[in-house]
Amino acid sequence: MGFAPRSDRTVLAERRHEGPLRLLRSFYPEGAPCHSYLIHPPGGIVGGDELDIRVRVEPGAHGVVTTPAANKFYRSAGPLARQHQTLRVEAGGALEWLPQEQIVYESARVESLTRADLAEGAAFISWELTCLGRPAAGEGFETGLFRQRLELYRDGRPLMLERNRFEGGSAVMQGAWGLGDNGSLATLVAVGADAGLLADVRERLDALGLRAAATLMDDLLVVRWLGGRAPDGWRVLMAAWSTLRPALLNRPACEPRIWHT
Amino acid sequence: MSPTIITIITVIAMTDAVAALRLWQLISPALPVGAYAYSAGLEAAVEQGLVASEEDLAGWTEGQIRHALAGLDLPVLARLMGAWEREDTAAVRHWTGFLLACRETSELRAEDVHLGRALARLLPDLIEGDTRAWDQNDDVTWATLFARAAVNWEIPVRDAAAGYVWAWLENQVAAGVKLIPLGQTAGQRVLARVSGAIPQVVRESMRVEDEDIGFGAPGVALLSAMHETQYSRLFRS
Repeated sequence: MGFAPRSDRTVLAERRHEGPLRLLRSFYPEGAPCHSYLIHPPGGIVGGDELDIRVRVEPGAHGVVTTPAANKFYRSAGPLARQHQTLRVEAGGALEWLPQEQIVYESARVESLTRADLAEGAAFISWELTCLGRPAAGEGFETGLFRQRLELYRDGRPLMLERNRFEGGSAVMQGAWGLGDNGSLATLVAVGADAGLLADVRERLDALGLRAAATLMDDLLVVRWLGGRAPDGWRVLMAAWSTLRPALLNRPACEPRIWHT
Repeated sequence: MSPTIITIITVIAMTDAVAALRLWQLISPALPVGAYAYSAGLEAAVEQGLVASEEDLAGWTEGQIRHALAGLDLPVLARLMGAWEREDTAAVRHWTGFLLACRETSELRAEDVHLGRALARLLPDLIEGDTRAWDQNDDVTWATLFARAAVNWEIPVRDAAAGYVWAWLENQVAAGVKLIPLGQTAGQRVLARVSGAIPQVVRESMRVEDEDIGFGAPGVALLSAMHETQYSRLFRS
């Protein structure tokens, strides 16, 4: 996908897909920014599947990408399912990468890599909300494997490298230093933040009373949450995003319509 | 046996013995870098009741050693030592930046930077070579300068890695004894029990490929971020 600026709004100038991944048409609920919906294979993702998603935002363009539903990784007898997301934002461009949660089923084997390359002066807000197993269905994550990477670079320099390896039955699942028996986790990252914005985000998070916290490394703000229920993670992400967006993108939070259908 | 051979053997043995002694100096809690001021998230874990006993402290430290240190710190340390050996400054900077980018919070990064800078200031009094420029650098870690010292003293990489883990463990146990609190004897039991894992961890860490380096500890990341606003605190991380 390639977002490019036109006189009055951002358009999806480049749009190619192969296989079962799809893009719905673009929506403009708030003027210039282009809201796009990425549709994953309707039947979910199974072992051996490879998803390769590439997004580029040109200078002056503003893209908002989300998904219409949760992304599901099903159990696998052996082969890994791979999801690679490569995001590139040029100087003066803005990308909000806001997918709905991903559910990793018991015995699924998944490798997920999200790499963002930002130019100096690019705006970027992104999150990932992950559920390991399906507690509501009485299903845990005893034998699954989820390798999760989030890599953020600016002008080739690493800003943040997060490489998680969640393997059912390993100490990382139970230990207080790891997931601490929480089956779900969320991470939100945003660049361009400062100490004042960190204080605002913390105030919003504190009001929720959930296991969430924010930290600021130079201008990179990171919010993390651990818990058991995806809707709680969603509340954390909403609280942070609705605080960050007006400050970083000069726009009030405008939720993609699809979240409410 | 000719006298020449005997002499050579003696020299090698002497060098190894000195290397071992230098390693002990490098990992001693008495090394004046201020490591005792950092708990790396443990203070928040104790505050929230997640680490409340000798058993918990053993699980907290052993889990991180087996996964996070084995998967991240030690493979990077080995690469940093190789880079210093080759005098490959670009590789030293690459792996330093990599390790720092893997630190999940402001406090964890500050801890690594402060310890690295403190060692950069101390080393010119102990080794040949000026490391003071690293004291001015924002991109510096404890492992960067630890590797520099280890290479200078010809400490074998596996010994250096074992020492690095031991120093981390001893510091965590000291923090746990103070915070939980535990008796000194309980602390020694944790050290004896958990350090048994170190040789295997070192062996495994030396086999990690570049592409697989990195192991996130989500609990530490969250607790460390919470520690940044914790009201009552003894430690700087």
